[in-house]
Amino acid sequence: MNILLVEDEARIAKRVARMSREFFGSTIQNLVVCESVNGGIKYLSEHTPDLLLLDLNLNGEDGFDLLKSVTASAFHTIIISAYTEKAITAFAYGVLDFVPKPFDQERLNLAFRRLFTSGPKSEGKLEYLAVKKAGSIVLIDIKEVRYIKGAGIYTELHLLNGKKALHDKSLEKLEQLLPASFERIHKSYIVPINQAKEIIVHTGSKYLLELKNGEILPIGRSRYKELKRKII
Amino acid sequence: MVKFRFLFFLTLFLSSCKQDLHYEYTDAVYKNGDDLNWAKKNYDTSGWEKERDPKTAVFWSRVNVRITNRDPKDSISVGLGIHSFGSFDVYWDGVFVGKNGEFAKDKIHEVPGTEMSDFLLPDSLARSGLHTLALRTAQHFNTGELRGVDVKLQYYKALIQRPLVATSYMNLMAGAFLVAAFYYFLLYINSSRKELDVLIFGIICLLFFALLGVEHVKFYITIPYSHFYTRLEIVGWLTFAISLLVPFYFTIQFYFKKKFWLLGLQLLILIWIYIDNFRHYDWTAMLFSYTMWFFSLIIVVNALFRNVKGAWVVFVGLLMSAVASAFIVYDFFLFICYTLIVLSMLYLHTIRAKLLEKEHQSSLILSSRLKLELLKKNIQPHFIKNTLTSMIDWIEESPKDGIVFIQALAKEFDILNQIGEETLIPVAKEIALCKAHLKVMQFRKEINYVWEQSGIDELDLIPPAIIHTILENGITHSMPSIDKIITFKLSFEKQRGNKQYKLLTIARNRENRIEKKTGTGFQYIAARLTESYGDQWTFESQAVPEGWLTCIKIHAG
Repeated sequence: MNILLVEDEARIAKRVARMSREFFGSTIQNLVVCESVNGGIKYLSEHTPDLLLLDLNLNGEDGFDLLKSVTASAFHTIIISAYTEKAITAFAYGVLDFVPKPFDQERLNLAFRRLFTSGPKSEGKLEYLAVKKAGSIVLIDIKEVRYIKGAGIYTELHLLNGKKALHDKSLEKLEQLLPASFERIHKSYIVPINQAKEIIVHTGSKYLLELKNGEILPIGRSRYKELKRKII
Repeated sequence: MVKFRFLFFLTLFLSSCKQDLHYEYTDAVYKNGDDLNWAKKNYDTSGWEKERDPKTAVFWSRVNVRITNRDPKDSISVGLGIHSFGSFDVYWDGVFVGKNGEFAKDKIHEVPGTEMSDFLLPDSLARSGLHTLALRTAQHFNTGELRGVDVKLQYYKALIQRPLVATSYMNLMAGAFLVAAFYYFLLYINSSRKELDVLIFGIICLLFFALLGVEHVKFYITIPYSHFYTRLEIVGWLTFAISLLVPFYFTIQFYFKKKFWLLGLQLLILIWIYIDNFRHYDWTAMLFSYTMWFFSLIIVVNALFRNVKGAWVVFVGLLMSAVASAFIVYDFFLFICYTLIVLSMLYLHTIRAKLLEKEHQSSLILSSRLKLELLKKNIQPHFIKNTLTSMIDWIEESPKDGIVFIQALAKEFDILNQIGEETLIPVAKEIALCKAHLKVMQFRKEINYVWEQSGIDELDLIPPAIIHTILENGITHSMPSIDKIITFKLSFEKQRGNKQYKLLTIARNRENRIEKKTGTGFQYIAARLTESYGDQWTFESQAVPEGWLTCIKIHAG
């Protein structure tokens, strides 16, 4: 596991690093500390960590740009910040957790554990999916999504307007961020419940989901019951 | 309503009474020398001159007066008013009715009379018909001045009373302007702002008071004819000054650009009028007033185009005074026109005062906002939460150091609380604050912050937390040297009352560090400096080879 920590307070950086090591133990291969946001950006341009721990002062415009950029990336981001009131914004852009300062080991562990829990969070506050497009970052409202298809380490966002967008995060990671209104129907598909029209049952326990626009997606055998309960 | 009635009666009184006597009189004829026979009613004046000889100081003059409408039963006393130069005995139909000054054949014994004299006529000699006025005159002073003889017949009481009644109104007005002048002078003296317009307005009020007084002083002070022109000269110069100052005042009130060009031109015109109409006193004063009116109009119209507040009121005031001048004789015009102008100026002044009050209010708001800002330094999340997080860590890892950290924070809070209500604090206090802050930051950043100072006058006063703010910026935007040291050097210089604080941060500047004058830190410093020093300060902040240098200069005065 590779972790990047961006924190300009030396003492706090030490604390986070210590606690991370305690939590992840020997799974940590690499823990890099950058004491400035610029240093962090520079590091990210050359490396892709598995987790970013970011002290972000979201009061400036630069903060939001950086937030969009990191949430569009393949890795998960946990914000550790003094500006508690910015938590909602951070969640809306797609951070895994927001740890308010001052924090203890337990709160940080809670954030770390989210890395390993799958499925949508009941309190999911994600509103936008940040997507890299032609060198810049575009925000896509999750209400615009028809369904999401996994494509290896990437995902394809199929939008209501018929267009497609690629997201750097895997389907598993997006599932961890998306609100409960999104349902994993198959190992390769996530669908917003409101886009589902009906379940078609074929002989031989083959299940299909017809979307409102007529498109048909497969339903994983193990996920059929749960989905049926939600649609009816 | 009461006011209206008062005005109504005043107007009635000032307009001429229908009971006035009707009369006509001829031009005077003159004869040099002295002979008491020349006083006789039916004396033949065929050989007399129409012009007086300007070289002769002793002469007689005669005027024929015809009373046309006096009711034979009318028994009210009739008065005779004479406007003329010299000291003379007055004969009415050959009868001696009084004298003005003391007639004498030589200068030493002449007691100069006054230009305007009144006499009571014997009732039997004031009936309808032809009458003769003969004056036995000595004019040893201003002998060359040919003034002619003007005759006024009126009921005696009215003749004496009317000018005094008119004068009383004028004096009433003059008193109001005197009070206004005092008020504005005191306002100017006691105001810390020393606004030029307040002073000028006070001067205008004082000059206007003087003008009203001098204009009407002739009705109750006997001015010898030898000094007749002194009063007119004073009136002229007062009018000159007012004519120049009123437009000047308007240029200030209406923020007129290039005002000194305009006023210079006006000054030239006024001087030219004075020279061109030398010794035409009333006429000169009138031209002065017209010039003032015209130049004021230029300024006001310009202000109208620029939509300056109050311009309409002054414009209307000027138009009204122009209308008034078309209907009223000059003496009253002067009074009414100037009063209208001064009233509109007074109105402008209230607008200005309101503006100042607003400014004062907003400065109070600024002060309280700054207090709040200082207070926020204590509790802003970035500071407090990062400090608390570090503190928890210190306590968990090294409780003893944690306690020292807490004490340092408490000290910083103590000082911030002490200075929270102040607008200026001794620099020693500010330095204590900086040192406490550095101690706190040392625990957080694990950087060795070194504080150095030179030339500090510990009692010198500065606005609170401005060096502290610069220090905060320095901490944020600097990277320590390899041995983890950042040094702050505060130095103070004082030269001819100018003060200068320099804070040098010896460190490596972070990338993108540029001088920003938009940040909240700079805004706080700027607002604090403005609060205490107006615009008498400068703030510079720039990269230098050693690191970063911030310089605050406070100018004398």
